[in-house]
Order: sequence, then structure tokens, then C-alpha cells
Amino acid sequence: MFNFKLVRRYLGKHLVRSLLTVASLMVALFLLCLLQAIVVSLDAGVRGAKRDRLIVQSAVSLFVDLPLNYQQKIGAVDGVESICKWQYFGGHFQDDEKGYFAQFATDFDTLFACYPEIEVVEGSKEALLADRTACIVGKSLADRLGWKLGDSIPLEATFFAKPDGSAWDFKLAATYRPTSTAMDGGMMFFRWDYLEETVKATRGETPGTGTYVFRTRAGADQAPIAATVEALFENGPQRVSCSTEAAFQAQFVSMYGNLPFFVSAIGGGVLVAIVLACINTMLMAFREQLHDAGILKAVGFTDGSVATLMLAQSLVLCGIGGFAGIGLAKLTEPVMQLMLTRFGVPYEVPAETVALASALTISIGLVAGVVPAWRARQLRVVEALRSVE
Amino acid sequence: MLIPLSYTLRSLFVRKSATLLTVFGIGATVAVLAGVLALRAGFTSLFSSSGRDDIAVFIRQGASSEGESGITRETCDRIIKTLPQIAREGGPEGTPLAAMECYLAVRRQKADGSGETNVPLRGVQPASFAIQGDALRIIAGRKLTPGSDEVIVGQKLVDRIANSRLDDVVQVNTTPFRVVGVFACDGPSESEIWGDVERMMAALERPVANRVVAQLALDCQGDAFAAFAKQLTESADYKELLVMAKTERVYLAEMAGPLGTTLWYVSAVLSVIMGLAAIFTATNTMLSAVASRTHEIGILLSIGFRPLPIFLSFLFEALLLGLVGGAVGCLMALPVNGIETGTTNFATFTEVAFAFRVTPEVLWSAIRFALILGLLGGAIPAWKAARLAPTEALRRR
Amino acid sequence: MSQPMIRARKLTKSYLRGGETLTVLDGLDLDMDEGRFYALMGPSGSGKTTLLNLIGGLDQADEGDLVVAGADLAALDSSALARWRAANVGFVFQGFNLIPVLTAQENVELPLSLSPLSRKERREHARYALKLVGLDGREDHRPGQLSGGQEQRVAIARAIASDPKVLLADEPTGDLDRKSADQVLELLLRLNVEFKKTILMVTHDPHAAAYAGFTVHLDKGQLGCIETNPPRAVAARV
Repeated sequence: MFNFKLVRRYLGKHLVRSLLTVASLMVALFLLCLLQAIVVSLDAGVRGAKRDRLIVQSAVSLFVDLPLNYQQKIGAVDGVESICKWQYFGGHFQDDEKGYFAQFATDFDTLFACYPEIEVVEGSKEALLADRTACIVGKSLADRLGWKLGDSIPLEATFFAKPDGSAWDFKLAATYRPTSTAMDGGMMFFRWDYLEETVKATRGETPGTGTYVFRTRAGADQAPIAATVEALFENGPQRVSCSTEAAFQAQFVSMYGNLPFFVSAIGGGVLVAIVLACINTMLMAFREQLHDAGILKAVGFTDGSVATLMLAQSLVLCGIGGFAGIGLAKLTEPVMQLMLTRFGVPYEVPAETVALASALTISIGLVAGVVPAWRARQLRVVEALRSVE
Repeated sequence: MLIPLSYTLRSLFVRKSATLLTVFGIGATVAVLAGVLALRAGFTSLFSSSGRDDIAVFIRQGASSEGESGITRETCDRIIKTLPQIAREGGPEGTPLAAMECYLAVRRQKADGSGETNVPLRGVQPASFAIQGDALRIIAGRKLTPGSDEVIVGQKLVDRIANSRLDDVVQVNTTPFRVVGVFACDGPSESEIWGDVERMMAALERPVANRVVAQLALDCQGDAFAAFAKQLTESADYKELLVMAKTERVYLAEMAGPLGTTLWYVSAVLSVIMGLAAIFTATNTMLSAVASRTHEIGILLSIGFRPLPIFLSFLFEALLLGLVGGAVGCLMALPVNGIETGTTNFATFTEVAFAFRVTPEVLWSAIRFALILGLLGGAIPAWKAARLAPTEALRRR
Repeated sequence: MSQPMIRARKLTKSYLRGGETLTVLDGLDLDMDEGRFYALMGPSGSGKTTLLNLIGGLDQADEGDLVVAGADLAALDSSALARWRAANVGFVFQGFNLIPVLTAQENVELPLSLSPLSRKERREHARYALKLVGLDGREDHRPGQLSGGQEQRVAIARAIASDPKVLLADEPTGDLDRKSADQVLELLLRLNVEFKKTILMVTHDPHAAAYAGFTVHLDKGQLGCIETNPPRAVAARV
């Protein structure tokens, strides 16, 4: 296409300016993808939640434990299939700089029954049952902290501190990878009996558990089951709330408060800045090409094709920059994942973000090109030719 | 011989659309940075401005916050009654100015129906009020009666959290507590619910308290307190207490630490990424300013101006562009000042409400940032202008 | 020849200048026949360029009829006019007006890209046009790499590339030295004689005007007499 040659030549004539514009677009779109991905990732757990799982927790607080006999009482409710406990341990790994990760005490056989998406990568379920201090951690977590099977993992306890202040010891017996986003890939699970016996021996009391998770029978109506469970403990000793996995995850998302809104506001700021920059570039290009546009019209190019020439420059420039930025965001996904899991934030640039960013890129190209294109269209040949570049 | 400033000003004015677009581009960048910094300023000042050096907080050794802490009643009793470092009301034999407190992040519905959040529920003793003194003011209703199922709520909660108004009922497990008062005070406590410690521990079926808070005796402040805190963790005399002590100021600063640091990182990352884009834009504008004035530069050079004044003139133009952009950005950021927001502080796992604060420091940081953008954006074009050969420049139009 | 190539009746054109209406052409009548070379002369501000622009369809008259190469220009809208220009007229300007980012070859191909010709045909036409103006071998030079005379000859090649009936030249030698000017004028003359192009050339230089077969005088928006020039020796040489 001849027109395309002109587009290329014009962009190439001011190579520095074109490159700077492309670079700033790349940076901006990269940032937009990043921000959008973080917002989307925040509720990945909600979207990935499994329909057949319900969570029972204290109605009062995340930090209040439920008695152990609740497990058997809930398990007896009609429609409940397998049930497991999750007790948050809240330990600190020796070197806090390397970041936080969550640890939970559970019974492995029931855990695996409730969470078929936990796929054991290294080690085996048998190894977990063989050793009382055995634990399984997410593969990504093990890789990050450089743990190998058989390693000893000392954790400084908080809620379950031993009276002498010594650390708890765990042995890495297996690693897992989640096959759905309902399960976080960077956690640690260890045996309930280890927790219970140690707490009994050192403090003389039986620990409770923070949450129970159960699966319902296929096709069962969940609302009445949840209501039945809540009613069981209406008069204590600890009132519970029973919610779907999605609702349970949503409560953590809602903790971020206005954060997603602020992130969007930042994204808006980025967008405004970059649109202004692109309009600036295209207006400069328009001023320089004013005379040429007159020549093209004199030679017989229609108003429309001269306008298209301006718009095409804008679209090519913004397209290259924008898609480079999107590509960069996709390319840096593993690095960002590594950085953000330390804050306990999952990260992924999903297809919807790529689609949104692509639409934005094209929109920026159109917005930046439309004014010069319109002015090029309205341009009177006689005046354009009189103008000195 | 320097080039008159009017030349620079006129040049910015003549190229109106490019100047405006660049100014607003830099402005948007600066506004975002100022917004994040204002958020951080609001959050950290909430914690740092309210902590006192003459109040001590005792928590279990190794706990990073009172939520993680647990201290038995016996230990609390021993701390309150026996430690001479704690001030007493009415002479050495008076009542110790120290209180056992329990603390729990409880699940509450937000008032706007947007879901659930965690609100600090604190069980207090009369001494808790005595320690706070006039800093804590009841602004509606009355104080809670010790031993009763009553609570008072921090004023920040009233509009944010459901069932936090006067005469509402706050259900704690199976026990209903009535809201009898609303209090105001500086600091994060304004986002808390306070009730009687004994009633709270009973309702929550919690065997242990979370912290002891105490007014320090006059002779146990500053360095003396530091020495005492060191003894507390190291001396055999206190070994079985298993607690550590911090001043309230230090304790609150630690609670603000992680989120404050995260926000600092966020602002740094945003500044770098958005700054890059803004620098590129400024460079573009300045390059075109140089290009459109190549002929003029040729004239200036040929009548005897040296390259340095030309370099400085363009650099100054870029700085001016940055400065005006920075000012515009600050103006855009100003309206967020005072806007109330809340987010979960992951150090305590509870939500705190605070306001954006566009402080002079925030504005100064934003202006400095804008000037750096202008400087970096103007450097290459100015250098290019200064290196033009007069004959070549004169020939180009 | 029944129909003149250019026929104007009561042509009027005025501009707004500083709040005042300036009438440049005032009811002008004009007939120009096919295959002739006219020089249009007149003092500054007499409306020479305006008339040329109207005839070339770069601008439209306020009133009056203008028929060029069989088309009633007043009846054409902006895009129809553009298409008409591409097929029927070629322009040569004082300032050459080449596109600086395109090579000589590409500049000449520019109007051809609007024709139904294939890529290969376009290239051949452009090469032929450049050869005709004596610039074979310079196809890949950018305008900045050519002399003024060469640039103007590229412009002429571009003007004739799509084989239009009418060539309009506005002070084509105004920016050239005598030698380059003569080359350009001889080229125009040759296009008139050999290829039967109808040429209208605005000039204020009597030496340039002498190349044309007819000289038309324009003053204060009115047409003066049309003189017939003595045949040039060059014409015989072509």
C-alpha cells in the first residue's frame, strides 16, 4: 500500500519522537495491565471458588476457634459428605524478609477429599502420613525459599507459642500444585495431631480450629444445609456462620476496602497523561505535515484519504507502543508473580485484561488521531500550500 | 550573556497547545503520585501522631501485635500490681494506672452493604480511660458502666459499620451489647469498639487477655524505660512474665510500618514508571520546540551567543514546563485532602479509617518530582540545541 | 474545435481579509483552447494565482460557471473534485511542493496511486515520466538531495505522470536560476508541442512568457487582451 509507505516514512522521519511516544505508551500500557491484573487477581479466589464447598467459621471473628466436637456434629448433617479442619498457625519463618506465607493444621486424608484440586507434585501422600511433623507446601513457595524434600522448616509460633519460646519444627514431605484458582499455590499444611499433641503437652489445653470446610453431596441444595449448620450452634458455645466458598473468599476481598477504586483512579491518571502525550505528538506531526497534506490534496487525494493518513499514523504509533506494553506485561508475569506472592497477592495477566488493554490501545490511537485527522480533512488546499513548514 | 527569560516565557506561550498538553500530562502524573503520598501521609500520621512516650504497652514476647499476643490474668495482675515503673493515682499506695485489655478483630458488616470487614473490639478497664485522660472524649451518649453489657464506639465507625449508632446492639457471640456512647480521640482507637474487659472475655469465652497498658511513672520514662524494657526480656526476675514492653508511640509506629512501607514502595514504583512516560513526553515537546526554533538559534549563535546560554535557556524552559505541570498536579491532588477512606491494616488485620492528607511535605515531594521530570525531559533537547552549528541552523527554516 | 478546454463565464471570487471583502476576480470571462500554451501575466494581486487555483479545482468560485476538460467544476463536491484533479490536471508550483519523505520515483508515482493502474504499470509510467524530464538515474533521490531545477523537473514529471489534459504552472521558474529556468520552460514547451498538453502558466517574467504561444493579461480581476506570441526557435528545435 502506498499510503502505508507514507505512514512509515513520516513516522521514520521523526524517529526519536516516534520512539519516545512508543516508549511512553509501552510504559503506560504495561502499568495499566499491571494495575488491572492486580485488581482482577484480588478476587481470583472468589471467581475460582467451587460450588460444592461450604465453609464454617466463627460468626464473631476470624481469630476465634471452634470446638473440635463441631466436626462430628456438622458431619452428621444430611447432605454433608467430607469435612476437614483448617487451623491457621500464624508462624513466622526465621527470616521474615523472605516474606510471609500462611500455614494451616489439618487432617490430610480429609483435606485431600475436600480439595481434589490439590495435586501432589513431589513426595507422596503416604510420606505425609508416615511422619507426625510432615508438611506439604506449594511448589512455588518451596522454589522461592529453596526448600527440598526432607528439609527441616523451623517456624516461630505466635498463637501457639511454646512456653519456652522454642520454634516448631516441620519436615518437608511433599509439595503441591493447585489445579484451580480456588486453592492458593503458596501455602503450607501440616498434621493436626502434631498441633494438638504439642499444644496439649506444653500448655495442657486442647486447641480448637478456625474453620471447617465440607463438601456437599452432588445435587444437594446448599442453602438449607448452611442454615441447618448455623442453627446447630445458635446458642453457643460458639456461634458459627456457614457460607459458600465464594462468599468466604469475598470477605477477604472486601477487606481491601477502597483499594481497587484507588488502583482504578491511578489507572485513570495514567490514561489521561498518556492520551495527552499522544495527542501532543500527533498535533506536532500534523503541523509538520500541513504543507504535505495540501500537496496530496492538490495531486488528487480526497479529504478522506488525507485524514486517514493522519489517523493511520496515530494508530500505528499507538498500536506498536500499546501492544509492546501488553506484551511486556505478559512477559514479566513470572517475575511479578514471584514478587507479589511474597505479599500474599496472587498475580496473573488474564485474557480479559489483555482484551481491555488492547481496546484501550486502539482507543488511544483513535482519540489522538481524530483531531489531526479532522483538521487535515477540513484543510483547504490553497491555505495549506501557502503555509511554510 | 544570558538569554532573557522573556524569550523562554514567550516561547512557551506561543506553542500553546503543546505546552498545555505537556503541562497536563506532567500534572496527571504528579497528581497520581501526590495522591498516593497523601494516602500514606494520612495513614502514617494517624499512627505516629497519637502515640505517647509515657504510656507503655505490654504484650507477649514474640508477638508482633496485640492480636497475636496472649497474657494470662495472673500475669496481668502481677504486672499491674507489682511493677514500680507504673504510675499510681494518689501517691505510692494509690491505684495503679494500668489496665488489662483484651482485643479481638470481630467480623462486622459494612454500613454501605459492600460486605464484611474486621473491626477491633477492645475490652477495657476504668484505668484505660484514666490513662487516656482528656485525649478521649465522649461526644454522644455516656461512658460505659463497668461490669455491664455496654459498649462505646469510636466515631469513625458510626457511618462505616452497620449497627454502630447509639442504642444499636452489637452482638458478640451469644451476648448482646448495647451501644451507649460514641467517643473521639486521636489515633487508630477511633476505629474501635470498647466494652468492659470482664464482660468481653466472658462473652468471647477467652481465657487470656491480650495486653496491659500502663501510665509510666515519671522516673521511668525515656532512657529509664528503655533500660526497663531490656530488663523485662533479659533479666531472670521477669523471665516467667514472658512479656515485653514498648512505648505506645513505638507500638503504634510498628502497626503502621508494613502498610506504610508498602505504600512507599507503591509510590516509588508508580513514580518511576509514570515518570518515564512523562519524561518522554516532555522530551518530545522540547525537541519540537528546538526544531521549530532552529532558525532562531542560528541567529542567536551568529550574533554572538555562546552555546551554554542557549543550553540553559532551553533547560530553563523545560524546568518551567515541569514546575507548571507540578503546580497543576498539586492543584488536581488538593481535592482529595480530607477524604475519608478505610483499608485493612494487615499488621493488625483490622480496618482503620483515615483521611487523605495533602501535607506541605507531600506537595513539596510532588513539585520536586515534577522539576526532575522537566530537567530530565529537557536535557537532551537543550543539549541538541546548544550543539547546533550556526550556519547549518540558519539554513534550516 | 467546438468546445474550449477551459471556459469561464462571469467568474467571481472574493476573500475576507481583516474584516474587509477583497474581490479578486470580478465577473471574469475566459476561453482557452485545447493544446495551447498560455502565459498568464499581471501585476501582484491581480488574481493570477486565484484564477489558476479555480481552474485547477483547488478552490471554488463564489459565482459564475467554470468548465474545465468537460467538467462543470461548480457542480462537483470536494471528493469528486479531488478525483477530477487526479485524472485531468497536473500542477507545477513555484516552490516545487514535492513530498520530502518520498523519493523522486515515489513522488511521481503519487498521483498514479489514485489511478486503476497496477503496481508495475505505475512504476513504469513514473520511470518514463522521469526519463522524459531528463532525470533517469535519479529515481531514488529524495527532494533534499536534488537541485532546485531537478526538483522542479520531478514536479513536472509528477504533473504529467497520469497523462492529464491540462498542466497548470504557478511561477514555475520563480525560484530557479536562469539556466534551470530555461530547462524547465523548454520542457513545458516540448510537452505542449509534442504531447499536445494544454498549459496555463502564471508568470511575471516576460522572458518566461515568451515561451508560451499566447499571453493573457489580467488586471484587477478583469481579463485584458490575449496576445499571440511569435513562434520560438526552440519550438522548431523540439
